Amino acid sequence: MKNHYLETVLLGLCLFVPGLSGAQDHYPSKSITIVSPFPPGGTSDLTARQLAPVLERIFKQPVVVQNRPGAAGATGSQVVANSAPDGYTLILHLVSISALPERDKLFGHKPAYTRDQFVGIARITADPPMLVVHPSLPAKNLKEFVALARKKPGEMIFSSSGLYGASHVPFEMFLQAANLKMRHLPTTGGAPAMTAVLGGHAVTWASPPNIAAPHLKSGKVRAFAQWGEKRLEAFPEVPTFKEQGYDIEYYLWGGLFAPKNVPPQVFNTLREAVRKAVNDPEFVKGMEKIRTPIAYQDADEFNAWWDKDAQKLAQVIQRIGKVTEK
Amino acid sequence: MLETFNNLLLGFSVALSPSVLVYAFVGCIIGTLVGMMPGLGPLAGISLLLPATFGLNPIIAIVLLSGVYYGAMYGGSTTSILMRIPGEAASVMTCVDGYAMTQNGRAGPALAIAAIGSFIAGTAGVVGLMLLAPTLAEFALRFGPPEYTALLMMGLFILAYMSGGSMLKTLAMAGLGLMLGMIGIDAMSGYTRFSFDLVELGDGVGIVPVAVGLFGISEILLTAGQDAAPKVQNPKLHDLIPSREEFRLSVGPIARGSLLGFMIGIIPGSAHIISSFVSYGIERRMSKHPERFGKGAIEGVAGPESANNAAASGAFVPMMALGIPTSPVTAVMIAAIMVHGISPGPLLISQQPELFWGFVASMYVGNVVLLVLNLPMVGLFVNLLRIPYAYLYPCILAFCILGTYSVSNSMIDVWIMLIMGGIGYVLRKFDYDLAPVALGLVLSPMLELSLRQSLAMSAGDYGIFLERPIATTMLGLGVLLFLLSIKPLIFKSKDWRSKVGLDEVEG
Repeated sequence: MKNHYLETVLLGLCLFVPGLSGAQDHYPSKSITIVSPFPPGGTSDLTARQLAPVLERIFKQPVVVQNRPGAAGATGSQVVANSAPDGYTLILHLVSISALPERDKLFGHKPAYTRDQFVGIARITADPPMLVVHPSLPAKNLKEFVALARKKPGEMIFSSSGLYGASHVPFEMFLQAANLKMRHLPTTGGAPAMTAVLGGHAVTWASPPNIAAPHLKSGKVRAFAQWGEKRLEAFPEVPTFKEQGYDIEYYLWGGLFAPKNVPPQVFNTLREAVRKAVNDPEFVKGMEKIRTPIAYQDADEFNAWWDKDAQKLAQVIQRIGKVTEK
Repeated sequence: MLETFNNLLLGFSVALSPSVLVYAFVGCIIGTLVGMMPGLGPLAGISLLLPATFGLNPIIAIVLLSGVYYGAMYGGSTTSILMRIPGEAASVMTCVDGYAMTQNGRAGPALAIAAIGSFIAGTAGVVGLMLLAPTLAEFALRFGPPEYTALLMMGLFILAYMSGGSMLKTLAMAGLGLMLGMIGIDAMSGYTRFSFDLVELGDGVGIVPVAVGLFGISEILLTAGQDAAPKVQNPKLHDLIPSREEFRLSVGPIARGSLLGFMIGIIPGSAHIISSFVSYGIERRMSKHPERFGKGAIEGVAGPESANNAAASGAFVPMMALGIPTSPVTAVMIAAIMVHGISPGPLLISQQPELFWGFVASMYVGNVVLLVLNLPMVGLFVNLLRIPYAYLYPCILAFCILGTYSVSNSMIDVWIMLIMGGIGYVLRKFDYDLAPVALGLVLSPMLELSLRQSLAMSAGDYGIFLERPIATTMLGLGVLLFLLSIKPLIFKSKDWRSKVGLDEVEG
């Protein structure tokens, strides 16, 4: 009897130990889920879906994109933040990952998640928004636009994709830098914000280049400036804010994140795979099609950059404050 | 005109090519199935299918997705009529009279009229899209927040015509719906309201789980509470075809519903959902026998069903002519074209004539496909009613839970549906009408947002509604409608105590 017991334990150990080490050595050994916290068809979703098949080829394991939209990205973030840090659940989030906890802080809520529940694997895209205006406005450049706005303080209207959202924050940066006052018309997304400007219900907004592009081409809006550091390849004629004397910089970026405590080997495997993927011709072509330029940053560089970006964002949101208190 | 004709020929040469035609068929079939799945609507359907279209060419992708969109609009009416489960938000009104017709043994005609009405409205919508797209799109842009507010106010006034029961009960239910609609993050201030710290409630309560619960689950509970099991229906062939009288009654509602739906559909925003409510209200108001509504009036099926399909076509006007997605569904479709490197925008029609005209032609084809698909299926669907309730209802319940969960992978939605089922059961026991809850829930977030957006534009000055001609006209009409609806309350002031809550208010 005693011998049998020992045998069973030994057998169990033999079976168990290789299984354990196997799981660690051979990451990934099952399918990986990339969560997009936004609805299908958005930048985060489209980027994730371009990335997934390439990673699939590298890992030789299925990579599945899952949409968990809701509460401006908070729902999906919360799910991933609280998932097992085993590298099998990742999230492709946008710049708003930094804004949501700040908003919760402003209102004294228990935050749905915090930034330090995530670690960045790589930044994949970074596109500066553009200041576009309705063509009926009697201004031909940023200088004239600012002069016009200064003449009518608090009367001109800018739209945005939502309060404290990815297009509200850069516009406030500009207003604060230029010391201007304008009325804010928050909407529920990029498309309605653009529609408001096209219809003349607002005169301007900070538009992502890929939303603005077709309307710029057909002359339905004009672009006076963009928030990037350098001029854009696709729009060389649009000057940056920096060139025009406003020291502001802002990007609509997208990055791949994992829950904080992923094991180092897993993290490195992911990091290497993404580095390979962003240079893959299939991925490069796919991103060209969705008109979102790749702006890769590796984990270390990205996490440091992300901290700085988030601090800047937090300052702007604190300065916007609660709308009802104004 | 000749140019349009030539373009259309080009379009048909694309749409009738075998590969495109096959995908149109596949899209329509998938769409019909998705629409029939309780909780899963057109948006969920095309979102789920979007990744699958990345490998196809852009024309096929958009034909497939629009087939799903259309099919889901058709399919949604089937479960509404047969089982009182709205497959998607636009079918909520169809539940009321459609299901009543089923109980009267007229399920076949209700399904047939829904299919025919959808076909006519869909086709009329495509004609409108083809001839008027650029002109109408410019007009649609003039709908800013104040115009939207006025439109929604009109929708609210129509509430008064929606229900045959007591005015007080209707208003109470509308109030409940409006309050449910307040849950979530306030878009204008960022405050979270009534969300009990649940992140999922930040977006508010969705109309679909609420409608499935209020209408579908409550029906199952009510049936279970009956002393004797309801008789399983045994439809005969001649009961499947609408009678001449039913056809005659449906002509007007279909025509009005098509026009109304198309007009509401082109307006940016999610107003297309209210087109079916508005149509129902109008038909009830115009009917010589408003008391028949709610008890199986064919007009109550024909009007809303036509309106929601015409609105579906209308939504493509700004999308195709300007590249602006006016609803979540069109946003996904734009993404489907974008991944192929085509940027939708004002130049799309001139730069990609094959895409636009192929799409237009495929919509004609799709409507025919759906009619051909749906009319013969009426017999099949009606036979579902032969299944004994002991087997049918547990299956429906399972499908409701599955469908609701799969929309956004959220358990909260399932709980909302189940709780609403319980509330619906209690309310119906007390003889409350549930349609106003659904309309209130649909209207309140949109109305609140657009009203406050308008005030943000004017820095708090209500004069903005009187400065803009479209808004002013619509508000005027709304007030007129409202006065007409309270007329019976005022002119019978002597005995209002005996009237209110006890008797039917004259519509």
